[in-house]
Amino acid sequence: MREVDMLTGNVAAAWAARIADVDYIPAYPITPQTEIIETLASWISQGLMKAKLVQLESEHSMLTAAGTASLSGARVFTATSSQGLLYGFEMLYNIAGWRAPLVLVNVSRAVAAPITLEPDHNDVLAARDSGFIQLHAEKCQEVLDLILIAYRVAEDHRVMLPVIVNMDGFYLSFTREPVYIPSKTDVEEFLPPYNPPHPFRAGRPVVKGAAVLGGHIYAYFKHNIHESLLRAGDVFKEAAAGFREVTGRFHSPVEGFLLDDAEYVLVVTNSFTSIARKAVVRLREKGVPAGLVKLVMLRPFPSSDIMEKLRGRKAVAVFDQNISPGLGGVIYNEVAAALYHVKNRPETLLSAIGGVGGKYTTVEEFEHVFHMLMHPEKTQPGKPVFLFRADELAHVQTALRLAGYTGEET
Amino acid sequence: MTAFTRISHSPIMERGYIFNPHIVVVMDETLLADAQARPLEDLPRGGVALINSARGPIFSEDQAGHVFMRINFTDPALRIIGKPIVSVSAAAAAAKLCGLRKQHVEEAVREELSELGVRDELLEKNLMLMSETYDNTPRYSIKVDEERVGAVELVDPASGRVVYSDVFAAGNAVHRATGNWRVFRPVVDYGKCTGCKVCFIYCPDSAISLDAENKPVIDYEHCKGCLICVVECPIRAISSVREVEIFA
Repeated sequence: MREVDMLTGNVAAAWAARIADVDYIPAYPITPQTEIIETLASWISQGLMKAKLVQLESEHSMLTAAGTASLSGARVFTATSSQGLLYGFEMLYNIAGWRAPLVLVNVSRAVAAPITLEPDHNDVLAARDSGFIQLHAEKCQEVLDLILIAYRVAEDHRVMLPVIVNMDGFYLSFTREPVYIPSKTDVEEFLPPYNPPHPFRAGRPVVKGAAVLGGHIYAYFKHNIHESLLRAGDVFKEAAAGFREVTGRFHSPVEGFLLDDAEYVLVVTNSFTSIARKAVVRLREKGVPAGLVKLVMLRPFPSSDIMEKLRGRKAVAVFDQNISPGLGGVIYNEVAAALYHVKNRPETLLSAIGGVGGKYTTVEEFEHVFHMLMHPEKTQPGKPVFLFRADELAHVQTALRLAGYTGEET
Repeated sequence: MTAFTRISHSPIMERGYIFNPHIVVVMDETLLADAQARPLEDLPRGGVALINSARGPIFSEDQAGHVFMRINFTDPALRIIGKPIVSVSAAAAAAKLCGLRKQHVEEAVREELSELGVRDELLEKNLMLMSETYDNTPRYSIKVDEERVGAVELVDPASGRVVYSDVFAAGNAVHRATGNWRVFRPVVDYGKCTGCKVCFIYCPDSAISLDAENKPVIDYEHCKGCLICVVECPIRAISSVREVEIFA
C-alpha cells in the first residue's frame, strides 16, 4: 500500500481500525456503513489483520458485545448508521457508564420515517447525551485521523469514555479522496497498546455495571461522566498535538477558516463544510468579510473555543443538518447558550436548517445565508430559516401528484 | 448524477452531486427515455453524452447542443468476457475523453479488480476489453458553456396542513418499463411449443401469460431478460436474441 491512496470514507475508517491494531470488531450490516465491515472482514480473512470479527444478530447485541469486550481489556472497534444506532441506543448509555473506551463509527443517515439512505445528523445527535465523546469529520482524511486520535483520548486514564466518530453517508462514506495512511510504526508511537485500568483477570473478579439504588450514588457517577467528558476536551488537544508530531496534520475541536477579520461567520459541521468553504471564498472575492467555523468536536461541547472564535463578530449563522421538531436546529441552541455569557456577542444569531435527509445544499444557498446575515432586518429573530429551494418544492409537488395526492385526503 | 468523479489540478471545494458535468456516461441507453433518470438533465451545451449503444452514428447532436458519442460497450464485453459487464469499457472511454493515458487506465483497472479479488484470467479479459474500448473511442476536445450560476430562490415549504408520505396511486409498477433492463430477449418458437406452461410457472416477474391455447405470451415491456424460461423450457423452444430495442 502506498502512503497516499484514493479511499472512501468507509475504507479510511477501516484503515484506521487496522493501524490502531484493534482486537475485536462486533458487526451488523446497515447502509451506508457496511463497506467498513466488509473491508475489515476481507483483511482479516487474508491474514492482514489479527482482529476477531463477529457478526451479531442486531445492533443491540453488537453494542453489548462491543462494550463488554472493551471491559475485558480488548481494543474494540464497531460501526453503524441511523436506525442501527437507535436500535442499540440504550447500550450507548451503558457503554459510557461502564467506562468502556471503544470507538464507534457512525455513518450518518437520516432516521425513518419517511425512510431514506441519505445523511443528516438526527441519528448521531440523538446520542449526544449518552456520555460518548463525539467527533465529526469533514473529509475522508479526517475520518482516519479522528479515529486514531479517538482511541488515544478514549483510553486515556483521565477520560475512560467511548467515542463516536461521525462521517456523512454517501458524501464521505462512498466518496473517494486522497488519504494519507500513516505507517504502523508511527502509530505505535502515538497510540501504544491499550492499558486497561481494571481488566478482568483470572483470580481477580470485578463487578462491572453494579446497581446503585438511592439516587445520590447514581448522581455521583453521572457527574463523574460529565466531569471526565469535559476533561476529554483538553486531552483531545494534547492528543492532537502528539498526532501532529507524527503525521504533520493538525486537528482541533473547533476550526476556523478565513476567520481573522471576518464579520459574518457561519458555523458548520461535517461534510457540507466543504461547500460552505466555497461560499466563503466566493464572498471574499467580492470583498465580503465572510468566515467559517467548523465544529469537529460536538461532545464535550467546545463552548470556550466557540466563545473565543465568535466574540465580537457582527453576525453569526449556525447551519444545522438536523431538526429537532418543535424547536429547530440542535447545534444552534447549543451555540446560543455558549454565547449568552460573552459580553460582546454577535448582535445577530441566525439559525439555518439545511441538508436534512441529505437534501443537497448548494453553494448559492450558503451564500444566501451570508446575505441574510448582512441584512438581518429581513429575518425574524429566533425563527430558524429552513433552506429549501423553489425547484425542490416543485419536485415534491410532482412526486405528491404521482403518488395520487390531491390534498383532500386529510 | 449519483455516481461521479471530479478531476482537477486544484483543490476541489465541492461535494456530493454534480450538477454541471462535462461528460455523462450512459451505460444503458434506455435510460435516455426514462422520466425518472433524466441522465442528460444537467449536461451543459457542448457536454458529451457517452452512450453505450449498438446502433446509430458515432457522433450526433441533440437540440440542447449535447454531443452524443455512441460506443458499443456491450457487444465487445459479451465477446471478450461473456457477460454484459461494461464498467471497464465505460471507464476506458470516459478516461480517454478526459485525456488520461491508456497506461494509467490499465494500472487503475488492474488495481481495482485485484482489490476485488477477481481471478487473473478475468482480469486479463477486462484489460483486453479496456484496451479495445479505449482504442475505439475517438479523441474529442470538449467545449462546454460556462457553469451556470443562478440566483437561488428559497421558499417556505410550509403547507399549512398535514401531508402524509403515502402513495394513494398504488399498483403503479406496471408503468415502469422494466423490459428496458434486458440485454437478451427470450423468443418463443410457437412451432415447437407444446403449451406445457413450464415457462409460465417459472417466470419470476409474471411477465409470461397464457393465450387461449395455453401458449406463452411474453410481456416484453416488463420481461427483464433473466432467461430462466430459456433454461427451463424442456424442449428448448425458447431462444435468446441480443436486445437493442427501447421501450419508452
